[in-house]
Amino acid sequence: MVADFTRKWEFSRRNFLRSAAGAAALGAAPGLGLEGLAHAAEGPWSAVPKSKVDKLNFVVWTYGDIYSKIAAQFEKDWGVKVESTISSFNDHPTKLVTMFAAGEKIDVSQSSPFSFPAFIKQGLVEPLDGLPGVAEYTKDFTPFTRQVAVVGGKTMGLPYFSAVWVWNYYADMLEKAKFSEPFRTYDELIEQCVKAKKDGIARYPIQWVAGVGLEQLPGTWYSLTWNRGGTFFDKQGKHQLGPGSIARETLKWWANTFEKGLDIADPESLKVQFTTSAKAFGAGKNLYRGPNHHYGLNICNDPAQSPIAGKVKVHGFPGDGKTIGVTHVYFLNSAHRDKEWAWKLLQYLGGRTKDGNFTQATNLAKDAMLGSGYNTVMNSDAVAKGWAPWGDTKKILEIWSKASYIGEPVPSVYEPWHFPWTDQLNIEVQKTLTGQITADQCCDNLIKGIDTAKRAAR
Amino acid sequence: MALLMNLPSLAVMALVLAYPIYYAGYLSVHKVGIAEIRRGVFPFYDWQNYARLFEDELFWLSLQNTAIFTFVTVSAEIVLAVAIALLINQSSLWTSRVTRWLILLPYAIPPIANGLIWNFMYNFQFGFLNRILFTAGIIGEPINWAGNPDTALYAVTVPYIWRTLPFAILLIHAALQGIPRELYEAAAVDGATAWHRFRHVTLPLLRPIIAVILILRTSFAFAVFEEILAITQGGPGDATWVAAWYSYKVSFAPPFNIGAGSASAYVLAMIVGALAILYVKLVYRRIA
Repeated sequence: MVADFTRKWEFSRRNFLRSAAGAAALGAAPGLGLEGLAHAAEGPWSAVPKSKVDKLNFVVWTYGDIYSKIAAQFEKDWGVKVESTISSFNDHPTKLVTMFAAGEKIDVSQSSPFSFPAFIKQGLVEPLDGLPGVAEYTKDFTPFTRQVAVVGGKTMGLPYFSAVWVWNYYADMLEKAKFSEPFRTYDELIEQCVKAKKDGIARYPIQWVAGVGLEQLPGTWYSLTWNRGGTFFDKQGKHQLGPGSIARETLKWWANTFEKGLDIADPESLKVQFTTSAKAFGAGKNLYRGPNHHYGLNICNDPAQSPIAGKVKVHGFPGDGKTIGVTHVYFLNSAHRDKEWAWKLLQYLGGRTKDGNFTQATNLAKDAMLGSGYNTVMNSDAVAKGWAPWGDTKKILEIWSKASYIGEPVPSVYEPWHFPWTDQLNIEVQKTLTGQITADQCCDNLIKGIDTAKRAAR
Repeated sequence: MALLMNLPSLAVMALVLAYPIYYAGYLSVHKVGIAEIRRGVFPFYDWQNYARLFEDELFWLSLQNTAIFTFVTVSAEIVLAVAIALLINQSSLWTSRVTRWLILLPYAIPPIANGLIWNFMYNFQFGFLNRILFTAGIIGEPINWAGNPDTALYAVTVPYIWRTLPFAILLIHAALQGIPRELYEAAAVDGATAWHRFRHVTLPLLRPIIAVILILRTSFAFAVFEEILAITQGGPGDATWVAAWYSYKVSFAPPFNIGAGSASAYVLAMIVGALAILYVKLVYRRIA
């Protein structure tokens, strides 16, 4: 089928080039826009599919108005209506699989790296290998993207965005607390927070991102553990949560910042997600915002959303600065109505538009400070200049250079059982942070839970 | 002839009630994931879904939380609904007539919106509730209503009661209006106090409607979902995991074990059904 499609594409491409050449030979005027066509003809993204569809659709999670914009552009470029089903990030897997199970047509969808193995196992994801232009895209993938989108040697998706975990601090409060610079060690972080609380600078100097989610609360623990030199599983898949492990000791340290310990952590930490945490931090009540996706700065430093806009700075991890990163992907759904057209739409979301540009990725960088899964975009002005209004781009890219894909400390992300295990992780860790159980009990429960999660995912 | 006349309603009931119940039962003894649904082939799984359920501590905790939630909300609703219905039944007071309309407002609010409103109200640092209590000098430090495992479940009961109370008030108020005035007049002639009139006239005559409210509210409270989703999402930890949330998470979060989710929903339905039968027997036996 893939081979058929590739042949069809080559055929239509030849036809297209022939037509374009003919038009050029006729001396078509620049005013007709043929320069654009000639440019567009340079790649598979501009080839006209032979088949016909009256509409296409995608099922994604919400992010501003990016989807209405890209759908409008697709309709304008190709004359095919695009319908969208958009839900919240946490509800997206449910929405997608219920539509899939109900037998609805879904051309393109989206996944976090944590749901992706389950989607692949359930048969929702169509491999892209052999489709025109895939090899070029794959070559341009960043290392993070490669680790998510290439599964068992097959390309299973195109990147939506990439992010790395960074710290934030409120510069004015730091100055008010008379600290010359942000912390350089974890001990110093605690010292500063305790002092800021004692001096009445902040009732809760630190706000963590510890709300229930796939990468919110877990991401905080993963990043802190990785930075301290620990992992959650080794390369053979054996857990690293036993007594004395870095993950366990990190959790003890983390839990101690909450009410039952030093009481320096904002209790709202347990409810906030990435965006809500950025908005809450923008109220100017905390000195530090715990590690989380770098692009939260575009909320904290947006005058329309934050009273302390411009005063929130990015900060790297202590020690060698090791951090984690992640890439989310778009994929071609196996319930598509027409593969050629679905591939075309997928490229609009996660690749190039008809004009050959990475329109979506570039806009995401410029409008939302998101990183890209393509080297081409990461090395472009879209990032270098696009991120500048919200943060120190150079500093973020420096942190980025020390980031490893989240699958390094947590190789279970490649397994379908990671998701149910994360459900348990959220529960147990929140119980630890609220003092209902100890970090030792939490890790013991999580060790036991690995087998249960594996059984559940079977 | 009677059977013929009843056939349409029987058919509708069978279609909208009996079939889903049967189908959920069918799914609960089969292996049902997304791939199986898509293929339309469900391998027989025996009682494995139930076994998995009963082995899961979280399932039992969810049931326990649901029982607490139901007991608190239904008890509070009955007491408050009777009290408020008695108040608004005073038709001589114009404020009662106004209140009768105002009381219905929360019922018009969609459950998920209600949850979000209360989520803002419960916010630790900026919430309306802490602000009022702090300003009134009732608390010295903000209280983490929805984020503290000791208070979270009770924090969720309040918005739920607030939203569903009007329904109970409406039914009780209607029942109150059906009680003949002569009974009160006779009791007054016999020297009954207001409390005695309430205890020996009003309450016994309200018993059937209270039974109806108990059955309906218990079954709805057992299935509480929206407020949990909007306010706590089961957290902190597992402090607010309830049965419907459990079924939802098992069915619709990876690895999408819809068979086990159906088993969980089925157990829930059995419990609610058993409670409904118990209520009906208890209340009607007393009336008899």
